Amino acid sequence: MKTADPTHIRNFSIIAHIDHGKSTISDRILEMTGTVAERDMQAQLLDSMDIERERGITIKSQAVRVDYTADDGEVYHFNLIDTPGHVDFTYEVSRSLAACEGAVLVVDATQGVEAQTVANAMMAMNANLEIIPLINKIDLPSAEPERVRAEIEDALAIPADDAILASGKTGAGIHDLLEAIVYDIPAPQGDPAAPLRALIFDSYFDAYRGVVALVRIVDGELHKGERVRLMATGQEHLVEEVGVRRPKEIPCESLTVGEVGYLVTGLKDPAQVKVGDTVTTVEHGVKEPLPGYREAKPMVYTGLYPIDSDQYPDLRDALDKLSLNDPALLYEPETSHALGFGFRVGFLGLLHMEVVKERLEREFGLDLLATAPSVEYHVYKTNGEMLSLHSPQDMPDPGEIEHIEEPYLKAKILIPPDYVGAVMDLTVARRGTFVTMNYLSQTTVEMIWELPLSELILDYFDKLKSNTKGYASLDYEFDGYKPSKLVKLDILLSGKPIDALSFIVHKDKAYDRGKVLCEKLKEIIPRQLFEVPIQAAVGGRVLARQTVKAKRKDVLAKCYGGDISRKRKLLEKQKQGKKRMKSIGNVEVPQEAFMAILKVDE
Amino acid sequence: MFDPYKALYIHVPFCKQRCAYCDFATRAVPQGDAAINAYADDMVLSIRRAGKQGFLGSIETVYLGGGTPTYLGSRALTEILYTLSLSMHLTDEVECSMEANPDSLDERLVKDVWALGVNRLSIGVQSFDDRVLGILGRVHDAEAAKRAIEIAHERFENVSVDLMCGIPGQSQESFAASVRTAVAAGVTHVSIYPLEIHEGTPFGRAVAAGRMPAIDEDLEASYMEIAEEILGQAGFSRYEVASYARPGFACRHNIAYWTGVPYLGLGPSAATMTQNATRRMRKQDDCVTDDLDARQMRVEDVMMGMRMSQGVSDELVAHASELAPELVDVLDGLASRGLCTHADGRWRPTERGWLCGNDLYGAILDVAP
Repeated sequence: MKTADPTHIRNFSIIAHIDHGKSTISDRILEMTGTVAERDMQAQLLDSMDIERERGITIKSQAVRVDYTADDGEVYHFNLIDTPGHVDFTYEVSRSLAACEGAVLVVDATQGVEAQTVANAMMAMNANLEIIPLINKIDLPSAEPERVRAEIEDALAIPADDAILASGKTGAGIHDLLEAIVYDIPAPQGDPAAPLRALIFDSYFDAYRGVVALVRIVDGELHKGERVRLMATGQEHLVEEVGVRRPKEIPCESLTVGEVGYLVTGLKDPAQVKVGDTVTTVEHGVKEPLPGYREAKPMVYTGLYPIDSDQYPDLRDALDKLSLNDPALLYEPETSHALGFGFRVGFLGLLHMEVVKERLEREFGLDLLATAPSVEYHVYKTNGEMLSLHSPQDMPDPGEIEHIEEPYLKAKILIPPDYVGAVMDLTVARRGTFVTMNYLSQTTVEMIWELPLSELILDYFDKLKSNTKGYASLDYEFDGYKPSKLVKLDILLSGKPIDALSFIVHKDKAYDRGKVLCEKLKEIIPRQLFEVPIQAAVGGRVLARQTVKAKRKDVLAKCYGGDISRKRKLLEKQKQGKKRMKSIGNVEVPQEAFMAILKVDE
Repeated sequence: MFDPYKALYIHVPFCKQRCAYCDFATRAVPQGDAAINAYADDMVLSIRRAGKQGFLGSIETVYLGGGTPTYLGSRALTEILYTLSLSMHLTDEVECSMEANPDSLDERLVKDVWALGVNRLSIGVQSFDDRVLGILGRVHDAEAAKRAIEIAHERFENVSVDLMCGIPGQSQESFAASVRTAVAAGVTHVSIYPLEIHEGTPFGRAVAAGRMPAIDEDLEASYMEIAEEILGQAGFSRYEVASYARPGFACRHNIAYWTGVPYLGLGPSAATMTQNATRRMRKQDDCVTDDLDARQMRVEDVMMGMRMSQGVSDELVAHASELAPELVDVLDGLASRGLCTHADGRWRPTERGWLCGNDLYGAILDVAP
């Protein structure tokens, strides 16, 4: 296959707020350009995981080469880079955008501009991309394209007179979009004669070939058989295969400037191929990598434990396998007195956590118990050491602690003006500090807050949605560590502290959280043969207490001839129910108990 | 080859009307409905066939249940009982129980069924409080219940009544009064059933719709304790979770169910348990509902035995332990949790083991599920 003429290449992403129809627009492009025969068309083709398709979200970036014969009769090569549509994956999105010259900004004609629309548009602008606004779902009766057009201009300062009116569902407007991509998005620049610089914007693991990296050639050429260096890790490897994805992988001899394709080096360890890293040649390579690289860093940690301890090796293998395709997934073994052997797993965010847990359970047949998510605290000890604390269990004694810092976020919230008060109340209650507020348009206010990440991973987003009748949208970025008065709250069942239920909380909130959590646990923990006292304590001082009364009766009085078979089934069913519970000491604790802290209403 | 059946159950699937809590295999039909005659004809044939196959040669107890056997009427009942007496030795040594409802039990019927070999009547009284009977959707009132017991006593020494507790609207006083009335009426056996709510019944729908409170297990526990106290003082002993009898009047047929005795069921939905030393099979309407190997069977015998106050003997446990060695540890564990005790060569349930029987039975079943 011959290399493409850079003037006929268009590299672009499709960006949108979650659920605004990014993936269906991608699918229509594939269909209209004949890249995928209609009979192979599966809704949301680029979302290859079941979970992605079911939840309608994109988790992994994907790149597809599409050939389009434009109205001018020329054939253009489009590289469509589908990006994850969730705030957990902001870094991945930014790297994908860095591989493009343009972006199609999809905005739902009924929902209008939302927080991630703004965040993604900002990211695209910062990457100097040409933005093509597209108003999607115009086939819906509740579509208001004119209002949305005005919002795009007001809130994003993007001229939207020529915004494309489209429907991913009916295919309307897709031809206009393809033409706009040809005429509005610039062809890639770059020097074909310069030393190689290629950006890795995603990678995945193939059982036969090892790690496959998705790359954009920024300068120079990448040839099969060449030796290349991955600059962040310094690893040097032979290029075993290069090619393009349409969406099937088609090998070729080389990739040239402006092209997007894949690269196989035979490397087996996914952790060595980092998103954002630069590939250059070993001989005559560049000294300076492309800007913008950083390590994927987990924001949220949780303990994952098999309910049946025999599944521990299976869980380890499953995590090993998943992490091959997900270098952002970090884990280390952890033990808990209450739960036995498990792993402390770090995630990019809550969605990432949910998706991974669901995949572990579904694809690997595991029954897992997740402890309440936590963040990474920095504990400065009196002996001068700093401890990165991922799990409340590892909290040192109060006497050893000099002070503790916790991660903060800069949160951007978009709401109609009517809900400013509601967001104020909620966010202040969650220890947020108000920074500023802007009217983006008559109907949209942007509020900026500093908020502890630990508060966000409670049910902040759910609460934000319900307190604003679903209108609020949220985007956030990491804003560094700040000192905070934090304590470890212990939960005791039958007088014994249960490590897996303990959590870290702001001192001023310990009493309220402890009280509500005890009440919640009282509802969740089923009555047992004996009384189960539940206590919340900080440093041995009991703040709250509840009691699960002993059950008095649990028997079916009638058990004659035909009842016996039924009774056996009933007892077996009861046992299945118990299997879903974890026996701690002699108390049967259902899984929900470990997540109860997330459902604490204040 | 299998062991001879020792207990026979005949199911009568008709009622005058269905009660609001009922999920049994029965349906309401008008008196004298053709379905009743067709049923009686079938049952006569079934009994004769069982007799010819030699299934009835060792029967020691018979139980006619339902539904409402007395609702069949004198003629159909006479046909069935007469056929039975021709097909097996329906002598006085055979316990022959029949369920009866107060409104369909009259003097004539009492005399007829007595003459044909029935020697124990179990009357579905449920309560002696009219208000409670109304809530349950029963067709009789308290007066009819008392009269039915009196009529029964004209021939029967062995009369049992069923009483229910935990019914919404029933007070502890009302329940206690019902228990005392049963004692005063001179019955020899009382069964106490806490209300169960099943899907698909009017009660089930009412609870689902929030029109009726769900079962309160604490309350039911206290009712069961009230029954135990009143009946204990009156000279009854509790020989099973729900069963109380004066000395010598425990229901031998029901004990057969709890002691692993093979039984034959005739009629729709009647369960049959067929077994030998290595296999136990239960069938209902020609479907196999359980198929157990020797290990499961012996453990099941221990589980079922723990429903009764006599519990199970060390011999029975040792027999089961040959195949399920962990059984004794499990029983020890249950004893340490206060659900059973071990004394005088027997494992017996405690009061707690009775009230929280599902924990006790579940743990034993777990040994050989």
